[in-house]
Amino acid sequence: MKKLFIILGFVAAIIALILAVTPLSKIAYIPSIAALIFGVLVLYTAKNKGESKKSVQLIFLMTIIALALTTYKALFNTAEVGDTEQLEQKEEQLEEESLEELENLDIDEDL
Amino acid sequence: MRLLLISAVFFLSSLLSFAQNNTIASGEKLTFSASYNMSGLLTELAQVTMETSAVKTSKSTLLKLKCTAATYSKWDSFFKIRDLYESYVSPKTLTPFLYNRDINEGGYKKFMKYKFDHKSKTVASLKRKKRRDGTDWEDKKTIKIDASTRDLVTTLYHIRNLDIHKASIGDSQNFTVLFDTKETVISLKYLSKETINTAIGKQECYKLAISIRNSNVLKGNNDNVIWLTADKNKIPVYAKFKIAVGSGELKIKSAAGLKH
Repeated sequence: MKKLFIILGFVAAIIALILAVTPLSKIAYIPSIAALIFGVLVLYTAKNKGESKKSVQLIFLMTIIALALTTYKALFNTAEVGDTEQLEQKEEQLEEESLEELENLDIDEDL
Repeated sequence: MRLLLISAVFFLSSLLSFAQNNTIASGEKLTFSASYNMSGLLTELAQVTMETSAVKTSKSTLLKLKCTAATYSKWDSFFKIRDLYESYVSPKTLTPFLYNRDINEGGYKKFMKYKFDHKSKTVASLKRKKRRDGTDWEDKKTIKIDASTRDLVTTLYHIRNLDIHKASIGDSQNFTVLFDTKETVISLKYLSKETINTAIGKQECYKLAISIRNSNVLKGNNDNVIWLTADKNKIPVYAKFKIAVGSGELKIKSAAGLKH
């Protein structure tokens, strides 16, 4: 039982860390919470046996890093559009092209 | 019953062909933020704008409807999107004459152009794609269309120009849209009136469900909903699309240059 929780905890913590680095960082909250729950469960099942707690500590460490990163990103990163220069250039070029096309078209405005 | 249906269809089609534009003016600019929502965790993906402007040719003045989508900078190194959709329409009736679509989605580039000829009811299309080795290839086609067929951008604006206040809850209407050189039927259903909070204040809205016939993209079980303000401007303020995991959302950020 303990082993299962350790594995699940590790998997969740690693997913949380990976997600926290990507732009999809907000979703990292879900595996983070799962990892914390599994970590607590591991502690709970291994309470009286006096076994090594290294793996649980590692799970908690990774989760805390993921949570810190995600929270930092959520608070300080605002969504901004990157460079749209190319897009603007294309718009201008397309408008010129389109105007030429429209000149050649037979347009009935009341249609 | 059949007679009623035929007369309803006739009435609707007559509305379609003679609908006057009372809603859209030039110089309007709407900005939206597209985001992905997974159990309440909102991730912003891209900025979407809808702009109108007047365009003059030697013979006439046309309305240019432009929609762009650009991913936020944090996504640019992962999946960069720079999409441009535009349509040149009659300012009086919103009938399309020329449609351009230029998309760049994560390196996939495609250009489409439709030239509408309403007299012969045909569209001359031009598709330009990039081959893997970097060279362009072109594909020209002539497509026969229905009298009420529009392009995607014009359809969006046309929906805003509908007399929704005359419709009653549960009413639906079909639109034929030319997309990827195929005519696709989009169905719009008036669900209810709802007041929602938006970035431009509390708004009373028409809640409309959109679905595409015979398609897996937007299925017809009221999962894809768009909210238009229940005033004369009928601005789209919020849209929600169901996808495999979670949902996509489109929220208004700002609106400027409205007609009413």
